Amino acid sequence: MDQARAGEFDEFVAARWSVLLHLARLLTGGDRHRAEDLVQESLVKLWFVWPRIADEAPEAYVRTVLVRAAARSARRRWWGERPVEQVPETAAAGDVSAAVAERSRLEAALGRLPAKQRAAVVLRYYQDLTERQVAEALGCPLGTARSHAARGVARLRQLLADVIEPVG
Amino acid sequence: MDHFERQLARMMRDAEQHSPFEPRHQDRLRAGVRARRRVRLAQKAVGSVLAVAGLSLGLFLIPDTPTRTEPGAPLPRPVSSPSSSPGTDPTPDLTPTAPPSSPTGSLPPSDTADPSDTFGPSDTADPSDTADPSDTADPTGTADPTGSATPTFTDGASTTTFPETYAPESSGTP
Repeated sequence: MDQARAGEFDEFVAARWSVLLHLARLLTGGDRHRAEDLVQESLVKLWFVWPRIADEAPEAYVRTVLVRAAARSARRRWWGERPVEQVPETAAAGDVSAAVAERSRLEAALGRLPAKQRAAVVLRYYQDLTERQVAEALGCPLGTARSHAARGVARLRQLLADVIEPVG
Repeated sequence: MDHFERQLARMMRDAEQHSPFEPRHQDRLRAGVRARRRVRLAQKAVGSVLAVAGLSLGLFLIPDTPTRTEPGAPLPRPVSSPSSSPGTDPTPDLTPTAPPSSPTGSLPPSDTADPSDTFGPSDTADPSDTADPSDTADPTGTADPTGSATPTFTDGASTTTFPETYAPESSGTP
């Protein structure tokens, strides 16, 4: 890749790094280290196709790679973690801000969803993608993507019932 | 989109923290690119080696296959021998029908010599084509009663020449 293309790639990465990292963090249920790994892996793949897709939709490409890598990594058995009954890093009220507490609750709730449902919900509500775009990113039929999103939202309604009070 | 879905979207956006692209991220990205490039080169090299090995193995095994291509028809035989059946006796019969008293080597009426026979690989004697009884062999092609026939017969427009290797076997009586 020539210098001009490499410069464009660096600019794209610098501009979109924060958004991509947050997307990866939501897709992994709040795992910051795994999110960084996924973003790095996706950007490395983007580097090799950059001359072809730089003028088209590089962010859509990275998003698709990220979503599929997150689903693949969720299927792995071992991540150096051991399941426990209760999450030890529960945010204590008073020592952290409300925003951090809310984010922690959201990430913990997302982490309890299956990977496909989590990805469908995040793409639909954080990335504002249409159902068809969600289906393309997940690599599944439209009805399946719709089902994943609906089930994920229904599960989140239960998990976040005390954070988001129903209206009326 | 109901209230819960709107609140969910808001929470997801509010949870976003600004994370600058630091030099350590860039270094790690470059290292990842270099590692992946090495992996791709190694995969290409392994693929090329496997392709060459497969082709070599295939070319090595193909000549050992039991099927061989052979001509479908037997070699053309001299048509001056009516008593020999094709495919059973590989030795041509040159002189049994020629009477020893006939030095001119005239062919008997039963001979089925094809004047157009040129002994090509695909030529076959036409059974319906009977030689003219008046045909006479070339005087230079006189049949030797002892069996050492001169293997040259002139039959009208064509000259039939037997190979030299048939000569010793033509002396015997079938």
